[in-house]
Formats: sequence, C-alpha cells, structure tokens
Amino acid sequence: MPLAEMLVDGDSAGAFSAHGAIHAWAMATAAVVAAACGLVGTLLVVRRLSLLGDAIGHAVLPGIAVAVLFGGRPGGPLVILGAAAAALVTVWLTQAIRAAGGPAEDAGAGVVFTTLFALGVVIVALAPAGTHLDAGCVLHGDLAFLPFDTVPVAGVEIPRACLAGVVTLVVLAAAAAATWRLQAFVAFDPAAARAAGLPVAAATAGLLGATAVATVASFDAVGAVLAVALLVVPAAAAELLTRRLHRMAILAMLLGALGGCVGYLAAWRWNTSAAGMIAVVLGLEYLAAALLAPDDGWISRGVSRLRLGWRVACEDRLAAAWRSEEAGVPSLPSAGGVTRRAADGWLRLRGRLTSAGGRWRLTPTGRREAEMIVRSHRLWETWLGRHADLPADHLHPPAEWVEHHLGAAMRRRLEAETVGHTSDPHGRGIPPEA
Amino acid sequence: MTVAAAGVQTVVDGSREPLLEFHDVTVAYGRRPVVWHVDLAIDAPCLFGIIGPNGAGKSTLLKAALGLVPVVGGRVRFFGAPLDRVRPRVGYVPQRETVDWDFPVSVMDVVLMGTYARLGWFRRPGSKERRLAAESLDRVGLADLVGRQIGRLSGGQQQRVFLARALAQQADVYLLDEPMAGVDVRSQEEIFRVLGELRRDGRLVVVVHHDLRTAAEWFDRAALIDMRLVASGPTAEVLTPDNLRRTYAGQLEILDEVGRAVAERGRTS
Amino acid sequence: MSGVGLAHNTLVVAAGVAAVGFAAGVVGSLCVLRKRALVGDAAAHATLVGVAVAFLATGRRDLPTLLLGGLASACVGLGALVLIRRWTRTRDDAATAIVIGVGFGLGIALISGIPAWGYPDSAGLETFLLGHTAALTARDAVVLAAVAAAALAVVVAAFKESVLVAFDAAFAAASGWPVTAIDCLIVVLVATMVVVGLPAVGAVLVTALVVIPPVAARFWTDRASTMLALAGAIGLVSALVGVAVSASRPGLATGPLVVLAAAAWFVVSFLAAPGRGWIARRREAAAAGRSWDEGLVIDACLRLTGGGASAHADAEATGAFTEEGAIAAAAGDRADGRAAAARAWSAVVVAGLVEPAAAGRWRLSTAGRATAAARRQRVEAWLRLFAEDPDAARGLATVDLTGASGLSSAIRS
Repeated sequence: MPLAEMLVDGDSAGAFSAHGAIHAWAMATAAVVAAACGLVGTLLVVRRLSLLGDAIGHAVLPGIAVAVLFGGRPGGPLVILGAAAAALVTVWLTQAIRAAGGPAEDAGAGVVFTTLFALGVVIVALAPAGTHLDAGCVLHGDLAFLPFDTVPVAGVEIPRACLAGVVTLVVLAAAAAATWRLQAFVAFDPAAARAAGLPVAAATAGLLGATAVATVASFDAVGAVLAVALLVVPAAAAELLTRRLHRMAILAMLLGALGGCVGYLAAWRWNTSAAGMIAVVLGLEYLAAALLAPDDGWISRGVSRLRLGWRVACEDRLAAAWRSEEAGVPSLPSAGGVTRRAADGWLRLRGRLTSAGGRWRLTPTGRREAEMIVRSHRLWETWLGRHADLPADHLHPPAEWVEHHLGAAMRRRLEAETVGHTSDPHGRGIPPEA
Repeated sequence: MTVAAAGVQTVVDGSREPLLEFHDVTVAYGRRPVVWHVDLAIDAPCLFGIIGPNGAGKSTLLKAALGLVPVVGGRVRFFGAPLDRVRPRVGYVPQRETVDWDFPVSVMDVVLMGTYARLGWFRRPGSKERRLAAESLDRVGLADLVGRQIGRLSGGQQQRVFLARALAQQADVYLLDEPMAGVDVRSQEEIFRVLGELRRDGRLVVVVHHDLRTAAEWFDRAALIDMRLVASGPTAEVLTPDNLRRTYAGQLEILDEVGRAVAERGRTS
Repeated sequence: MSGVGLAHNTLVVAAGVAAVGFAAGVVGSLCVLRKRALVGDAAAHATLVGVAVAFLATGRRDLPTLLLGGLASACVGLGALVLIRRWTRTRDDAATAIVIGVGFGLGIALISGIPAWGYPDSAGLETFLLGHTAALTARDAVVLAAVAAAALAVVVAAFKESVLVAFDAAFAAASGWPVTAIDCLIVVLVATMVVVGLPAVGAVLVTALVVIPPVAARFWTDRASTMLALAGAIGLVSALVGVAVSASRPGLATGPLVVLAAAAWFVVSFLAAPGRGWIARRREAAAAGRSWDEGLVIDACLRLTGGGASAHADAEATGAFTEEGAIAAAAGDRADGRAAAARAWSAVVVAGLVEPAAAGRWRLSTAGRATAAARRQRVEAWLRLFAEDPDAARGLATVDLTGASGLSSAIRS
C-alpha cells in the first residue's frame, strides 16, 4: 500500500502532522460508520440476531457487486438499494428454507450467506477491469484510501465515504428515535408485542434493512466480513455495562466510535490494515467491559465474593460470641486461623468487640447485631421445621448459611408465618427484633 | 452380598441401603437455590410419584439425582452408593421436549441407545442388543413401528419409544420425568401398565407427575415438592387437603426472595 | 517441470482436496446434527491469527507449520467462545459473532502487516483468505489427506457415541457418557477440518464446506449413517468441481467455486429429493388435497341421492343430480371451495365414478357407489380406531400427510 508507506515514517510526530487532515478524515469516517453500526447492533444483539447480522454483512456483497456493475457508485443510492435487496433476500431465503422443511436456525443461515458471499466474490472477480471493487477491498476495506475520494460540500472537500457515513448515521439515528419504543418492546418480548397487535414483522424488517444500510456504509471502511465486528462487539460490550436499552445504544455508539479512531491510529502506527486493528481494539473494549463492568464484570464478581466471605466470617464471630454468652461464658477465646483472627481485629476496630484479657467480649452494638444474626438463624430453623419435611437435626446447617442473607423485613415475615413458636426446634429462645 | 432372584439387589455387604436417598439435597441454578434441603429415602420397590406445581423443582430434583444439574448441598445415593458407581442400574426417561424429533434416527435406533452404556466405547450393537431392543418395543406395544423415523410418531408413541429405550437399559431403578405430559389418556394407561409390570418385577419406578387425580390412583407412595419437601410417604397419607394447600397455595415467595438474595450475595429487604 | 509431472501434481492435489471435502462433509454432519452449525465459522475466522503467528515465529512457510498454527489459534478462539458463554451475560449468538469478528480482525491485521513489516518471502499468506489450490504441492495434498483420513477414522470409531450425544445429551449424560468430552471432540474435529480446508477454500468460506453438504444430505435420507456418507460424497464432489474450475481459470480463487458447487447440490437436494424435497412435498400435498376434494364430491353425490347413512341406503342411491348441484354441495362454505370442487368433479368424471343420466343430469356409476361405500367404511373404521386408541389413529393420519400408505390412499382407492 503505497499510501501507507507514505504515511509511515520513523518519527511519528512529524509524519502525522504532515498528513493530519487525511488522518482526521479517515478517523472521522471510521468513527461515524462504527457509531451507525453500533446503534443498529444494539437491537441485533438484544434480539439474538447477531448471526443474522453476520450473515447480512456477508450477503450484501452480491448486491453491492451487481449494483456497481450497473454503474452504481460506492456509497451511492444504487448500491444501497442493491445491498438492502440482498439483505432481504438473505432473510427471506433463510425463512423460506426453514418453512419448506429445511434445517433450522444457524445451519440455514450458514448455507445462505456463504453461498451469496461466494456469488459476490465471483461476480467481483469476473467484473471488467476498472470497476471499483477488488477482493482485498471486499475483505477488509480500504480506510486509508477513502479520504482521497472527495465531494465538495458547501465549498469544503469532504471524503465521499465520510459523507455517506454521516448521512447514514443521521438517518438511522432519526429512524431509531422515531421507532424506539416499538423496537424496544419487540426486542424484549416479541410474543407480547404481537399479541398487542404491534407490527412486529415490520419492525424486524426495518431492523434488518437498517443493518443492510449500516453494512453498506461501513463497506468501504472495513469491508464485508468485518462489518460483523462493528455491529456486534461494541453492542455486546455495552450490554455488559448497562441494562437500560437506550443507554446501551448510546454506549455502543461511543464505544464504536472510540474503537474506530483508536483502531485507525494503531493501524497507522503499526502499518497494517485499519479494519483489522479496529476489530482488535473493539475486542479489547469488550474484554475491558467484561472485566470492569460494575455488576457482572469478573473483577466486581470476585470482589463481591470476597466481601461476602468477609461478612460471613465477621458475623459468625459475633454469633459465636453471643451464643457463648447465652451459654454462660461471657467472653470468647481468640480464634485459631487467620481469617477469624482478622475478623476479630476488624470487629474490634468497628466497636463490636472489646478485648478483655486475651479474650473477646461483645459491646452493646455488637450484641444487638449478634442478636439479629442468631434471630435470623433460629427463625429460619423454625420456619423450615414447619414448612419443610426436615428432621430437627437437619435444620442447623441450612440456617448456618441462610442466616447471613435475611433482612429485617424478611425476619418479620418469618415470624408471622411461625406464630406460636417462641423458641426454635431445639428449644432455644428466639431473640426479638431490635 | 446376596442377590435377590428376580428382583433388585438391595442387600450390600449385609446392610440394607435405601434404593434411592436424597440427603439434605439443595439444588441451585447458577448461584440461586431452587430446591431446598430435600430429605427423602425410598427403601423398597414401588411406584413413587413426585408431585407438585409447575416450577416447583420436581424435574430439577430428578436431574440433580442423575448428575445433570449440580447439587450444592447434601448428596444423592443409589443403593447406598454414588451414582457413578451404579449407573448401569439406573434408567432415565427424559421429557419429550428435550429432543429434536426431526433427527434422522429410527425407532429401533433410539431404543438401541439404551444398550450403549453396557456396550461401552467403540463397540457396535449386535444381534443380542437388537433382540433386547425388539423385546422392549414389544412390551410397550410398538413392535410394528421399528423402522419408522421418530418424527412420524404421535406424542404417545414417542413417549413409549423413550420408555422402551429405558427398558433396554435393564435397570433396577427407573426415573421418569413427566412421562404423561401431552399424552392422551389411552396411551397413559398403556405406559402405566408397563410401569406396573416393572414394579411387580421388583424395580423402583420414580415418576415426576403433574396430575393429582391420576397420582392418587397410580402411585403407592408419593412426595409433594414445592421448592422443598412438604410431605412424603404412602400416597393416601401424603395427598391430604392440608398438605395440598401447603404445596399449591405456595409459600414460594419467601424461598424465592431468599434464593435471590443468596444469588446476589446480599440480604433480602 | 515436465508435462507429466505437472499433471501428476494436479491429480494428487485434486485427490487431496477431494479427501478433505469428504471428511469435512462427514465431520460437519455431526456438528449440524448437534445444532452447532456455526461453531466451524468461529473456528475458521480464528485460524488466520495462528497462520500469521506461525509464520512470524518460525519464519517458515510450509503448509504443516502454518496449519498447526491455525489449529492452535482456532482452539484458542473456541476456548474464548466457551469462556464468554460461561462467564459473561453475553448471549451465545453474540459470543460467536464476537469471536468471528475480533478473531478475523486480528488475523487480517497480522496478515496485512507482514508484508509491510518487511518480511521477505512473506507473500502468499493472503491465499488463506479465499483459497488457492494452484499453490498446493503434491506433498501438501498428501498431508491434508492424511489428516482428513485420521479425522474420518475417529468419526467412524466414535459414531454411535457422537450420534447419541447429538440426539439426546441429557440421556447420554445420565447414562454416564462424558458428554462435555464428546462435544469437545466433535468441535476439535470440526476445527481440524476447517484448518485442513483453508488452503482449498479459505478462512472466510470454509464453514460452507462443513455446513452445506450435511444440510443437503439431510434431504435425501432419514438415517444418520447414510446422511454422513452422503454429506461426504457431496463435499467430495464439490471440492473436485471447485478445484477443476479454479485450475482452468487461474485468476479465480478456489473457495467461492467450491462453495457454489456445494450450493448447487443444496438447491438440487432442496428441490428434487424424493420425500423431503420441495417438489415432492408439493406434489404430495396436492395429491392429498385432490383426493380429499374428490372424496368430498363423491360424498356430495351420495348425499344428493339419499345415500350415506348405511350400506342399504348406499345401494339404493341411484338417483340423479346436476353437475352444478354436486359441485355446490361439495364446495360447501369454503371460500375457494368452488374452484377445487369443479376440478375434482372433472377428475371424478374422468375416473368414471359418475355417469350421465337422463335430461343432462348425472348419477353415480357402479364404481362410484362402490367407492363411496368403501370410503364410508374406512372413515367409520378410523373413527372406531380413534375411539379406542386415539394415538394410533392420529399416528395414522399424521403418517399419511408425509407420504406413507394410509388414509388418503385408502380414500382414493
């Protein structure tokens, strides 16, 4: 790629600024196109249509190829029409095959999109020389060259691909905003939507058409095969970060745009395909989301597991101290084991325990808390004893772990359902609510 | 060790072990407990029904016994041993919906699958296995449908194919998951007849069942499950109005909420 | 190189690719039966990374090295797929799409970068994108065929286990079979076939080689073993056709040609397979519909002449009726009933079941009365069966719709 060689130079700063405008346009194109794909991709992911998005990404190729053969310009209306037609043909064929007794789900889609893609490649290969397509472009786009094909807009030379991307983004965003409620409803519960008389089929058709349009817009930037990365990865990352659909959409667009820019820069830095690096950066974004997501991320899950373990250790110590008091021994010896000793230390720090001659005593605060834990324990034993067919000697172990998960309101409900039992099945009294 | 002549080998090392025992079994999906602390022992061959409302965990309990769903508390024992040691003695009839009936196998192919475990790796079923499969099909009344592709069967016939497959396992304990679901009355009676024969031959038959009326007629012993064991024992003693109310009127919310709190590693409100 | 040597080379390559096609069809069948058709796609897109890394790490461009690298990265990609499914909220289909997109992106980034990073002797890795058998040597082809044969041997050995797990994994697990391990085995086999298919078909399209032949084969048979063999045959032929056409037009990549050949097989199977093909089904449905309509016409004629209630009444049903009346009675309230009834009337006339009577009217012929009587008896027999054993009766009716002998032909006869 001569252009890439031109751009790449040992001293990045000098080379970069010299061609800053080119880079800016390329990044803008990538960002805009990725944002459009991210928006559409959100709905695809939530509706479990990711692989159909992949299929459409592949299958628009023959539509685009035919349109170009008929004189359509890349990104022009004829090409978009061709792509949309190909997308709808894909979907229709997949459904028709299944309805006519063919294979279900993925297999049918697999047959259709590989066939259409192969057809497209053959058309491209057989096309007369001089048409705007070639195999490399098909597979991974040509982002670095895009800034050189410009159209004048209000006196400024804007790259055609960027303009097409912006128009696509605006149109799709407007369409999304207009039909958002419908799309959201259908995404979460298609059966209910259908029962409510909403035009589910039309919504789906609209979504798939939008996918085709977004794929076409990204075709020049990242080619056919990597459109799936733009469609699915930012949306999947966004899904890990939030549960609200509109926030997911916005996040997907932002993550996509970010990936587009950073990916392009990385490709420039390492002198390789922009489309590939964009996909890689998006993958890293997904990884980061999986790690760092507030509720579901691996890090936060690990942290929450540790916190539960710690809480259990502390509560167990408090309960042990209280039971010890109940049995007449007012203080608890120091424990063996690192965790229990650390828990004792922590409880002392929080004012739940005081030290008394190498042993531990409950403070008033600590006693109140400990009572609630033992109350939870014994209420649960009583409730289980009444409502589950368990012998008395099987009640302690379950209560041992459930006691840490009961709140005040639940304790009152348990009490209400075990009216008449003031002591647990072992005959020990149940402390009243604080 | 003694071996009963035509019945079930239940005497192991001189001590009597329950045929099937759930000891404080808690089953969870992910981190969320859905069946709590079930304590159940079945000592003698009988027709045993596991009854309860939808979503109560009956199928889950069965699957946990078979190791298909992890047991997070307690243990399940067959003949006093863990399942892995006595697998050839336990037969399973899963729910019909678990299978794609468009799969390209015939009735005979499916019933032969019951013989695979005893064949082991790489060996093909031979004439002995085919004879066994044919006999099993005969017992359930499907002898003339041997070559048919399974999609071309009615619901009751499909269920009977599954039953024949289990019979071909030649097990001592049979676990059936909703075998009567979506099957017309006539076929249900057919299936029940076969199960009765199994019981007479000294096998234990455990059936997850949803219909109270037929449960009262068919099963010798039963257990009422609604996320926990409500009652177990002889059917007439178990299916009392009080027990039924406790099962079907649902104390579900408490277990549900506590289960959710456990899954989220927090507290209920 | 002498002309003979060249021809020999081409033959060996063709044979090797054919072997790959055959094995891919067989192995792919297991995946399709297990409802995991696109796992091969994820593996395929992930192979490129390994190919590039193998080249970068060893500096060698021989096929076995590159393919080993591809296999390793395919397995990594599949492992990532499992991790995503197990440890995140991301849904299965999105997980597959992520592995496909990111894996392929990384592969493209490496393969595009290698020439620019100044590696001599690096051209040619792009052939792994869409396949190019012209670059294969005879030795390469032998290696590919050997791997394909090994995979086939594994499938044949573990056939019953694979089919069992694909059909009913719960029962298999309860019986003690290591379902996860067997699943893993199938997936690794598919990954191997995908890797082995790279030189011929390329990463983007090789999934077609493991998906299209099984799907096509399914139309022809209801036995799993036949389906696997047939899928192999279709894969083999498609691969050969693709290689042959690609050899005659050196500018074309092989991959798309192989896929189009397989797709042609699919179209033929979908349309023309006896029993499950579209044409056969339409004809069957039409015949059943026709015989149903004809039966309605006969019934109508019988009613118009006072018969239908019993055998005695049937025998007395010698009265006459008009064509119009018969058609109207047969059509009933149905919207399109008239047209169907009119067509059926013509068929009934042609079959000689009604004959002209006086004054432009018609009456049932002897044959027609016999047909009507037989029809009534069969319907009654079916109703009796239904009362005793609704299952068998329904089974009978269901079977008829899909073509075995039974009620519709009984009515027709």
